[in-house]
Amino acid sequence: MRHSNGNLILGGVTLAFAILVIFVWIPLDTQTGLIEKVRRQVTIGDALAPTIAASFLAIGGLMLVLFERNADDQPRVSSQDVLFGLALVASVILSVLVMRYSGPATISIWNLLSGGEAEYRLLRDTAPWKYIGFLLGGTMMITLLVSLVEGRVRARTLLIAFVSVSVMAAIYDLPFDDLLLPPNGDV
Amino acid sequence: MKRTLKAAIAAIGLTVTATVGMAADWTPPGPIKLMIAFRAGGGADTQARLIAEALEEKMGWKFIPEQVTGKGGLNMANTLKGQPNDGTAIGLAVTETFGYNMAAANAGMSPEDFTGLTTTAGFQMGIVAPSGKGWASFDDMIAAAKGGQDIRFGVMSPKLADLAYLLGKAQGVEFNIVQVKGGKAVMNGVTAGDLDVGFMAGIQAKGVAAGDLVNLASGLSQPLVQTPEAPTMADLGVDFNSDGYFVFVGPAGMPDDARKSLSEAIAAVANDESSKAGGLIKKAFGGAATIMGDDLTQLMASDYANAGALLDAASE
Amino acid sequence: MGTLDYIWLGILAVFQGPELFSIFGLPVSVTLVMILIGFLTGIAVGATPGLAGPIAMAIALPILISIFGYTPDALLPVMGFLIGVMKGATIGGAVPAILFNTPGTPDAYMTTLDGYPMTQKGQARKALRVAHFSSASGDTFSDIVLIICAPFLALLVEAYLDFPEKTALLILSLSFIGAVIGGSPAKGVLSTGLGLLAVYIGTGEDFYPRMSMGSDHLSQGFPIATSVLGVLIIGAVFKEMTDLWHQQRKSGTPPQFTDEGNQRLTRAEICRLLPFVGRSALIGTAIGALPGIGSTLAATLGYTVGRARHARTKSANVPDFGEGASEGIAATEAANSSVSGANLIPVLSLGIPGNAAAVFLILAAESIGGFNPGPSVFRFTQDVVNPELVIAFGLFTAMFIANALNWTIGGLFMRSMGVMVRIPKHILLPTVLLLTLTAIYVQETRIEAIWFALGFGALGYVMRLLAISPLPFVIAFILGGKLEESARQAFAATGGDAWFLFSSPISIGFIAASIGIILFSAGKKKHAA
Repeated sequence: MRHSNGNLILGGVTLAFAILVIFVWIPLDTQTGLIEKVRRQVTIGDALAPTIAASFLAIGGLMLVLFERNADDQPRVSSQDVLFGLALVASVILSVLVMRYSGPATISIWNLLSGGEAEYRLLRDTAPWKYIGFLLGGTMMITLLVSLVEGRVRARTLLIAFVSVSVMAAIYDLPFDDLLLPPNGDV
Repeated sequence: MKRTLKAAIAAIGLTVTATVGMAADWTPPGPIKLMIAFRAGGGADTQARLIAEALEEKMGWKFIPEQVTGKGGLNMANTLKGQPNDGTAIGLAVTETFGYNMAAANAGMSPEDFTGLTTTAGFQMGIVAPSGKGWASFDDMIAAAKGGQDIRFGVMSPKLADLAYLLGKAQGVEFNIVQVKGGKAVMNGVTAGDLDVGFMAGIQAKGVAAGDLVNLASGLSQPLVQTPEAPTMADLGVDFNSDGYFVFVGPAGMPDDARKSLSEAIAAVANDESSKAGGLIKKAFGGAATIMGDDLTQLMASDYANAGALLDAASE
Repeated sequence: MGTLDYIWLGILAVFQGPELFSIFGLPVSVTLVMILIGFLTGIAVGATPGLAGPIAMAIALPILISIFGYTPDALLPVMGFLIGVMKGATIGGAVPAILFNTPGTPDAYMTTLDGYPMTQKGQARKALRVAHFSSASGDTFSDIVLIICAPFLALLVEAYLDFPEKTALLILSLSFIGAVIGGSPAKGVLSTGLGLLAVYIGTGEDFYPRMSMGSDHLSQGFPIATSVLGVLIIGAVFKEMTDLWHQQRKSGTPPQFTDEGNQRLTRAEICRLLPFVGRSALIGTAIGALPGIGSTLAATLGYTVGRARHARTKSANVPDFGEGASEGIAATEAANSSVSGANLIPVLSLGIPGNAAAVFLILAAESIGGFNPGPSVFRFTQDVVNPELVIAFGLFTAMFIANALNWTIGGLFMRSMGVMVRIPKHILLPTVLLLTLTAIYVQETRIEAIWFALGFGALGYVMRLLAISPLPFVIAFILGGKLEESARQAFAATGGDAWFLFSSPISIGFIAASIGIILFSAGKKKHAA
């Protein structure tokens, strides 16, 4: 029986990454070495713990290469799975961006139309402004994800998404005074 | 429902304060973000949340507390620095953050990037050992160390580690200085016997009163309220001390009316021992100490300027 | 303050806590109500394929914290709720397994083997009764072991382990978890390494946040909620959605079976089941007490042992395991239910979580503050009350209350949960995703938290594609900070002894065991291949 060489590749990549972390990332990006001397006392520096973490990675990678190269239970990763995963993540990213910027954008448009000088930051705890981002972005997220799985876009999905996002907003926002729906903590 | 109720209370509160004529000429233009540089659930965090709660009730302001912890308060300072300075973003840390920590980190921040609002309380910083050790005084411990005993000295910040080191140096002994996360961890270590002695910033009060712990020395320039006979840092030959306060700050350049209203309102709550926040401050930190305005600006600037001397002394 | 005083205080803390309402003048504490709500939620969530206890815990946690605030008073209601969910989800998982041949939770898979055949024979309600009886028995047994063992173990640890030994013990737990979880020790160790690496970014003792690449976004490190929820929940959601997409959703309604004959459990039948329940409860409890080995293995082992016994002792007209034997359900359910209580032994006595439910209990304790699971909890102080110990006994009380609920109303509620299987998964999963992201945001209140969570979710997805178990990652993330801290302290306390790990027989033993366990499991794997 022909084995997949998935474990071999994974082990090799892990090993390479661990070496990169130990010899490049950690030395360049920590303030103190493995151990250091302060106040006439030798103490553990900030580089030691990540080095040990990377050693775990290296040991894991080495074990994959040495012991489990020919294991039976190696997963076969299809490019389909990877692409679908990417599509899922991309949908979420897009929706979160909408969530983050649609509120401030609405205010700017409002300002343009009315000549006002409202600031989203100061209105982020005031209805209806505070709901704009969450409702738009959330509805978009659920609609996109459901449509991806179903392989088609339906008006019904949009409706279900909007209703469930509204319920969610109500659960988190109405009863609690000091909970901020996304993105209202940032702006 | 709850929301409308709160709004109604807030509205009433607002009219009341307006008629009384307190510093109500300034109101925050929006909700105030309160960044807390301490872990959730501890005394410092509770203090911040209780003060916010009291101000919401009393002034009708709206607070949104959040945790920004880590790096001795520097993470909070770094985040706060970039916030708008109209009074809608403030933070709670300790003066050590803006003094020693900022100087030691050398991360391009200084107290000038911030507007000091008010301190709320100081620390009753003691050097504490379990009574089971049989040490009645600081000298007993030094004698034990000179007798060849390894002494594990628990501290909760780099500044205190420096002080512990200098203390050992002045007394001619070498401590094994162990830095742990927070005063509670020092106390746990000392009671469990993992540590022999350690700095505690007030949480030792109950244990000392019960006779389980002993204040061997004061970490301050002044004697401790609870154990006035214990020597101070200066008595023990160290020119530095751990005097410090909890302090509310905002970003640099906060307008005077906002600064004044915020600091006076916070100080009023801290000083009011009948309020929940004031009660906690009395119980946990031995009472309020409110330094504000130019005094505070000066205090923060001099802490920062003097930190270099301690850093130098400790690296010798 | 004697031990009994503490136990009594713990019980009082549950029953006399903040009062929610009163019935006939009797005050009902909010903790009691939260345990009940958690328990019912748990059953419903467990009975819904695609959801599991951890998801409900993840979503509920920020809401609960906002209700109860960051005070020690919040600990018992919030953790009581989580305990309720944990116990409810275990019995809930059996419902779709028995009725529809689809396990609601992974550890209920073995239940389908005999449960569904019983349904096909018209004995669905009886099968549910068997599941409930065995599950509740296993649970009770496990709780008793927890309450006896946890304080004792903690006292031992506190008395005999110094900084170096504590460090060695953490290393042992991490190696054990890495080597044992999932099918591949190599991948377990890899997952552990990733978790450690993630928690070390942005943290450390220096003022410069290490490995943050100069970025302000990384300088506070990754909040624990983003990594835990990202890898455990968001990763799982992505993976399940991919599976759904592959299946293109099988259409059609599940076949209907009508119940025939007596559905009650007779005394004689219970007596027949008891030996199976007993063995499985022992197996589940023993496995649960070891960090990292989950209820799925317990269920498998319990089932296998039960099958061997059944084959030896059964009379001719009784169905075999796999053909609708009620003993099969009993063996499985008793085993997977007895894991949950015992799993809290390492959590409470050492601060080391062993499974996802325990991870959330630790997350709750960390977020609320005022309770740090670990040996220092069990300090029986004489003069001053140790509030953490009161909370610990309060948690024990909560477990018994949830247990009592399990025996009384659990069965009834469980048998009404068959409808949950109709919920369309492909709509449910995106909703869960948004709920999780929202839950993370309301706790962290910055958009970076969502990006981090999403990144960890993608990592969790890739790990699942590569058959790398995410649990070692999560546990390493939780323990990593502790590991570094205790190593630093051990090093400083011993006056800079580089060989502090080898300074006492106990810590040498721990280190030897951790190396041994990795070598042994790696060798075994090679042998198997």
